[in-house]
Amino acid sequence: MWLSILGLILGVSLGLLTDIRIPPEYANYLSIAVLAALDTLFGGIRAHLQQVYDDKVFVSGFFFNILLAAGLAFLGVHLGVDLYLAAIFAFGVRLFQNIAVIRRILLSKWTEKKEIRESV
Amino acid sequence: MKKKVFSRFTMILFVIGLMTAIQFNTINEPDSRDTRDIWEIRQELSREKQLHSELLSEIGTLDDTLEKYDEVSSDSPEQALQETVEELRKEAGLTELTGPGLRISIEPSPEAVVTGQNIEQISPALLIRFVNEINRFNEIDLAIDGKRIINTSPIRDINGRTTVNGKPIGTPPLEMTVVAGTLSNAEKLYNHLNASPILDNFYIDNLSVDVKQPEEKITIEAYDEELELEHLKAVEGE
Repeated sequence: MWLSILGLILGVSLGLLTDIRIPPEYANYLSIAVLAALDTLFGGIRAHLQQVYDDKVFVSGFFFNILLAAGLAFLGVHLGVDLYLAAIFAFGVRLFQNIAVIRRILLSKWTEKKEIRESV
Repeated sequence: MKKKVFSRFTMILFVIGLMTAIQFNTINEPDSRDTRDIWEIRQELSREKQLHSELLSEIGTLDDTLEKYDEVSSDSPEQALQETVEELRKEAGLTELTGPGLRISIEPSPEAVVTGQNIEQISPALLIRFVNEINRFNEIDLAIDGKRIINTSPIRDINGRTTVNGKPIGTPPLEMTVVAGTLSNAEKLYNHLNASPILDNFYIDNLSVDVKQPEEKITIEAYDEELELEHLKAVEGE
């Protein structure tokens, strides 16, 4: 688990230190991509906790979701419809659901451990 | 198996971190950059310098006033105050003014007279332009057709008639009187106006402008109306 957090820290520090910037008109796409990535990440954690984790699904979901969200936003800009809102809504709802499931699983695990310890 | 899962998570988290950081960088760009080139900076500098010199000269006059107060305060402070008030009234254009200056007469152009064209009033836009042209010089006081121009004088069209200070001016021929402070300044103004392309604009309106030779003594009328300064407020903190 600590390895994953190290990865996050490494990514953030690399981004901040190299001072990479993208043109401001693409900032929208990147924000949606970040949201999609977060959604995939929490989906992956949930799947892992529920023991249904599949490597292929996770990795392909990550890239596919990002591309789909950015593509939807792009299409929305050209059609004059705020389609990126659809992506934000879908990802936002799923993010909350996934986090809720993760919380429940962790809580039940924690209470189980406590009961086991008390019984011993 | 478990190790593989975490290595995947690490990779994904690395990408997420990178994207977040880039997004952060993009959003937090500095608001505005100084994109002025050297000429714009020079202009800015010259403006500031001009302001500086104006402030210095103002300080000079105020120092003079203070000195005057000091000198006469023992005798009669009232007289010093009266003098200052008189000076300020003079500066504001509330008194008659006599000094070296010149006369400018605006007449119908000979061609228009010969061909019998209608002589229209001088338009406010042209008159404003002309007044601005004259005001390029320092220490200028002027009156148009007997109406003294002060800092707040409006020149505008009221019901189809060109007015100065709210009073209509006559149709040409009419006379403008200018007091220029010094005779050399008046001569400079004379030369400047005679060489100025603005006279051609009068010709378009069938008018001709005759700038007369500078004279030693020109008298212009006082501003004879109430000063309305309802939108002016005293600067605080001085």
